[in-house]
Amino acid sequence: MPRTPHASPQTLRLFAALLNDPARWRYGYDLSRETGLASGTLYPILMRLAGQQLLDTGWEPSPEPGKPPRHTYRLTADGVQLARTRLAAAQERREARPILREA
Amino acid sequence: MRRAVRVILVRAVRGRREQGGPWGEAVLAEFDQTRGGWESLSWAAGGLRAVFQERFSAYAPRNRRIVATAVIGMVSLLAINQFVLTARYAPSGSMAPTVPVAGRFLLDKASFRVTGLHYGDVVEFPIPAAPDQHTIKRVVGLPGDTIDCRDGRVFRDGKAVDEPYLAAGSRTDCAPATVPAGKLFVLGDNRLSSADSRQWGPIDETDVDGRLLATF
Repeated sequence: MPRTPHASPQTLRLFAALLNDPARWRYGYDLSRETGLASGTLYPILMRLAGQQLLDTGWEPSPEPGKPPRHTYRLTADGVQLARTRLAAAQERREARPILREA
Repeated sequence: MRRAVRVILVRAVRGRREQGGPWGEAVLAEFDQTRGGWESLSWAAGGLRAVFQERFSAYAPRNRRIVATAVIGMVSLLAINQFVLTARYAPSGSMAPTVPVAGRFLLDKASFRVTGLHYGDVVEFPIPAAPDQHTIKRVVGLPGDTIDCRDGRVFRDGKAVDEPYLAAGSRTDCAPATVPAGKLFVLGDNRLSSADSRQWGPIDETDVDGRLLATF
């Protein structure tokens, strides 16, 4: 059976964080803090989502001169839709199998 | 520590270039947000993984899978060949007729360490007189046994040993010997032209490299 893409618990955590305020541009470090995902987990997911046009990326110049610009992210319209679908499906699965509810 | 970690991350992201890839630069820019040594270290370690992915995502996933399969397969085959199971040639005719000279056999390097060695097992080990060469012989005596030969037959603790693996009409001559703890008394099946424990005395159990599994 083929795996459903973008349905891992880590990706779902990222979706949940990005959906809090879908219009806002987010930084990688803040997303890492909010989701509890290490950079080595978070960035590959971001790369994958961006590669499939589910995530918009941008560069925000740093307010302090000499500091590098920061990379920012937010879901595209497709991304928002997919994130809602995946989170809803995960919710449904949790309710169907209450014993396996996440701690 | 933060500074050292930063230098490593910059090198990984940019290499000799002025600018790294966008994702590497992104990880690098966020590095300044981390607090303390440990957080910066874990951020950078994860960042290295992300940079690695970015650099090598040029390969299609299908190719990457093939390469990963080949590499993992090769490494595990080498490990198996080294530590579990390997094929060897008999270096001499001293184990004829069981293994003729230059006969091939499979050597099991692992299981005897669990099951222990038994009478009649054929083991491989370095020749005590020339440790850079290996040979195979049959285990005839275990620690505590007394080995003796009478009328061309082998006696273990005074009882004649049944040796169906010998060629018809084979004779064995030996001097009486007791096998000390941690040693093995080994004989080649070709008793007339085998140098074995009759010359070198019992061999060390720890010298045993493997047990013959099958000939082919």
